[in-house]
Amino acid sequence: MIWLGGIIVGAALLALAVWLYILRQGDAHFEFVVDRRTPFALTELTTQRAVFTSRVPFVNNGTQDGTIMDAFTRHHLPCEQFDGVEVASRLHLETAVRDDGYFESVIFYKGTGSAVVVTVILTAKNGDIQATLQDMVDMPVDIMYQIVARSEWYIHKTRMVMTSEEIQQALAAGISKGQG
Amino acid sequence: MSAVELKPVRTRIVTPQNNIVDVIEQYAKDDVEPGDVVCVAESVVAITQGRLTRPEDLTVCFLARILNRFIPQAGSMSSVYGMQAVMDVEGKWRVLWAMLVGALAKLVGKDGVFYQMAGRQAALVDDVTGTMPPFDKHIVYGPSNASQVAEEIRQRLGCFGAAVTDVNDLKRALVVGITPGVDGPTLCRILIDNPFGNASQKTPIVIIKNYAATAGEAAK
Repeated sequence: MIWLGGIIVGAALLALAVWLYILRQGDAHFEFVVDRRTPFALTELTTQRAVFTSRVPFVNNGTQDGTIMDAFTRHHLPCEQFDGVEVASRLHLETAVRDDGYFESVIFYKGTGSAVVVTVILTAKNGDIQATLQDMVDMPVDIMYQIVARSEWYIHKTRMVMTSEEIQQALAAGISKGQG
Repeated sequence: MSAVELKPVRTRIVTPQNNIVDVIEQYAKDDVEPGDVVCVAESVVAITQGRLTRPEDLTVCFLARILNRFIPQAGSMSSVYGMQAVMDVEGKWRVLWAMLVGALAKLVGKDGVFYQMAGRQAALVDDVTGTMPPFDKHIVYGPSNASQVAEEIRQRLGCFGAAVTDVNDLKRALVVGITPGVDGPTLCRILIDNPFGNASQKTPIVIIKNYAATAGEAAK
């Protein structure tokens, strides 16, 4: 029976060692730093629609490399709150500009990061965007991102708010060529 | 005598609805001569064979959650889904045994034993990001019957030979399937600088011009 006990203790010690190894190894962890995003800037303006962009940095501050499999925006402007505009939003990686809303999976090594450019397109339902936006309200925009690394994939979201104040400031400043 | 020349061929995005031999004929036929060797990227062949899956469609077992932790991060099997994908094809107990023996072999200074024992898919599987959109969110297995595919390409295009290859930017070239008469190591040397380009360049075919007259002779 001593040998059986030895096997059980050995297996338990091996399991403990593996568990500690995994615990120490950790995993990737992505953070979209919305507190450090740039204010929305106006990048296009017509009679009917206005396009705004904001740069949002992110970092993989975990202990392992990780993959952003997908990332996209989800804006929240219910008609009960404000019915003056139709909203469309998308994002792209700052280093991989594209306008199709597709996000190509990309690996970020631990300790590295980049930025996404969030684009919000507001189209006036009455045809006059500048007049309509005078009454625009604050609009939450969630950045949704799917991560896969050592562990199973998950989808997380980070909220930013496009404020009516920054919309007014962007309109007053005119078209910016800095982002896009 | 003309020197060996590499000619990458751009195609549209190839999908599981395509036949790889038809695609090569459509895009490369006019450039292929009897002394040439036509090479095609293995991941593209695998895609046309439907040998791909999404991580979301895999059921991850306990063993995959543990073993992937022992694969260096650059490897496709370092992700739990890359590991599970290989286990689904090669068998999880085979992968476990390969890892145990591979670990022991490493202790005595012998590398690569795990990949030799874990099965062909351990070396060929591409994790997410490994291929171009829209397959960047897929795990792509290695192709099946690669030498048979190469032979079909050779016969259809009337060229000297054909090969299915796995080449990357890390100076790694592997012949997955090849027709008789074409020398694998010579092919790897010719392709080592990855003329296929990175995934988004959409050049999954490379024609090695004048192979029969030059490289083929050199290999003899």
